[in-house]
Amino acid sequence: MTAQEVRLCGLLLREHFGEVVEKVGTHLLKGGAQNLRTIIHETGISLDLVKKSLCVLVQHGACVFRSGRKGAGSPTEYQTCCDRILRILRYPRYIYTAKTLYGDTGELIIEELLQRGHMTMSGTIKTVADRLTQNMEEGRSMDYSEVSSAFFRLVETHFLQRCPPLAGAEPKDSATPAAPAPPGTPAAPVSTAPPTPESFPDCYKVPHVTLVGRGKRQLASEDGEDQRNAKKAKMDSQTHGDEGICWQVNFERFHLHFRDQAIISAVANKLDQTSSEIVRTMLRMSEVTTSPTATCTKPLSANEIFRSLPTSYNIPRPILDQYLTLLIDDPMEFVGKAGESGGGMYVVNMHRALANLARATLESVVQERFGSRSARIFRLLLRKRHLEQKQVEDFAMIPAKEAKDMLYTLLSQNLVQLQEIPKTPDYAPSRTFYLYTVNQLPTARMLLQNCYKTVANLVERRLFESKESKRLLEKSQRIEAILASLQASGAEPEQLTEVEEMITAPEKQQLEALRLHINKLDSAENQVDETIFLLESYINSTASTS
Amino acid sequence: MAGRGGGRGRRMMTFSVEAVGITRGDSLPPSIQQPTPLFPVMEQKPLPLTAGEEEEYLLALKQEFRGAMKSLPCFIQPTAAHRGQSSTHTHTHTHTQTSLTYTHTQTHTHFSFRFYYYYYYFTCFLCQTLQKKEEGQSSEDEEEEGEEKKKKQEEEEAEGEEEYDEEEFEEETDYVMSYFDNGEEFGGDSDDNMDEAIY
Repeated sequence: MTAQEVRLCGLLLREHFGEVVEKVGTHLLKGGAQNLRTIIHETGISLDLVKKSLCVLVQHGACVFRSGRKGAGSPTEYQTCCDRILRILRYPRYIYTAKTLYGDTGELIIEELLQRGHMTMSGTIKTVADRLTQNMEEGRSMDYSEVSSAFFRLVETHFLQRCPPLAGAEPKDSATPAAPAPPGTPAAPVSTAPPTPESFPDCYKVPHVTLVGRGKRQLASEDGEDQRNAKKAKMDSQTHGDEGICWQVNFERFHLHFRDQAIISAVANKLDQTSSEIVRTMLRMSEVTTSPTATCTKPLSANEIFRSLPTSYNIPRPILDQYLTLLIDDPMEFVGKAGESGGGMYVVNMHRALANLARATLESVVQERFGSRSARIFRLLLRKRHLEQKQVEDFAMIPAKEAKDMLYTLLSQNLVQLQEIPKTPDYAPSRTFYLYTVNQLPTARMLLQNCYKTVANLVERRLFESKESKRLLEKSQRIEAILASLQASGAEPEQLTEVEEMITAPEKQQLEALRLHINKLDSAENQVDETIFLLESYINSTASTS
Repeated sequence: MAGRGGGRGRRMMTFSVEAVGITRGDSLPPSIQQPTPLFPVMEQKPLPLTAGEEEEYLLALKQEFRGAMKSLPCFIQPTAAHRGQSSTHTHTHTHTQTSLTYTHTQTHTHFSFRFYYYYYYFTCFLCQTLQKKEEGQSSEDEEEEGEEKKKKQEEEEAEGEEEYDEEEFEEETDYVMSYFDNGEEFGGDSDDNMDEAIY
């Protein structure tokens, strides 16, 4: 947990869960695993609030607990990890992806689960059906079965998974609630690392749920109806057969999807649409057979690829072979050849593709900050590994004085490193080689930390701007509320214009400018998160293989 | 007159030049006319943000999500502490998770451990019952009955803590403060019947 990560996590917790959870969360991040008494003592927050905050953090998967390290009987320890909290930045992207793949229903299911952290299937379906019914025309409502089928599809493709049943230290934990379809609870021993959800066999098994009905519309009801609705709500709290089985969003699956999208769009940008379709087909075919951390997909024969191409792309077989040859020869090495049987066996190189995408990101960063000539030097050093200053000047074709200047600027920014190779045991400067080099992995890590710092700065600036104009924002909100209530109760246009004129023109301009700024800052956060995703994927893939 | 050296004394400073270390012939840094800028100068301007339908939709999703989170029970307000909400309220949003009830019982053992500490001292126990009676009388004066329970729980908690502080740390002795009582307060109620002898 670096300082930048902790700072960003604190800001995200504050925006989404409030300041109390922020204090508890940052304390846990900085201090490691702690028990309840330590947390209360060191943060100075009351027991009640600390308990609530820990509940919220556990509910959203940000905090795990286990029995203390001093053996059985020692108090439970709580531990938080940065990664899960940093995912909050990516929530809009998850929701949007669900929308593109599974429509509005899928979008709302994912949104509900992200907002609540963990929720039962029946609870989710009911809430989503109600929300969908709200937006439909009068008289129509959403049936539970439609929402159920969308839920099944999401579980089938592993976008949703069950929350892992807890390997508690106490035996009373195994007393599962009375449910007809009990979750698979292996009696796992107390281990140092929390078990992943995938280590449980029933991770993707949908329980048998009896759920019949339609979504309910929230009506502006009078007293009589209120009582009826209240009675209905009491009757509705029946069991549906899946108590105790909670579901959560499977972020790793979304990340695999994003990674595939990144590779496909990179191929489309570098080559053309047809090549990207071929790569998309290959990735689709290897979705289930490839493990998430694999270096490359399983080999696919050209015949199989030809058969699986979408019917809209009826390219003849020899043309497909030519495209595949082009893809192999491309220096980005997206696709590789693994054999000759079946018309040629081809693989998609995931890790190499990620490394190339990260490299392109680094080069683009250098280009935008220091200019295209510095970027040329950077690319040169990436290709040639170690170069002396004279060689850099020659290969980059830049005059000596400027090349020296640029190299030193890059060196001071830590993007380029200096390697000394002595000819004699005393490191005499005249008798030592000084070689410039770029190491991709440490540079990527450094840029990732810069990205976290950037997002934290953007969030802080946005909070500052809102705070500056707090009075104005509150005034405009009050006026909007008055306008809405007047319109609902049917007022004349003069009254409405009178209320609207309570905000003066310069104030309107100020509000407009504020709205523009906040939108820009928010949008910038989303876009920096795309870079964060690329760099994180590259670092994780390289770290796991090396 | 003394300050005018013509060609010789062109560089007149308020401080002695030799003391600072600037020798003759050195070029001085350019004189500063305004404070240094807050941020370093940017040679290259950053690229504009990509703006399209997808980005706008993502922006709307993000802002809506933030707004929705503020109205959910997960958003904990610091002012909730003063109203002394009971601990059962903690788990309204956790529904049926056995894990969180487990945590709940675990922290309850912490509580009972604390009370054990107090019952360990017999005199402490006596003081507590006396104070509870006082409390019972004062709380009858309150208007709302609903608040009574909550306040009692809070006060007991607070009073328990207060007592703890008072007992142990008032004079930094190792003995409980009631050790030093000379029994004056005891038996003060029976002053009315003076004809009975006191043994």
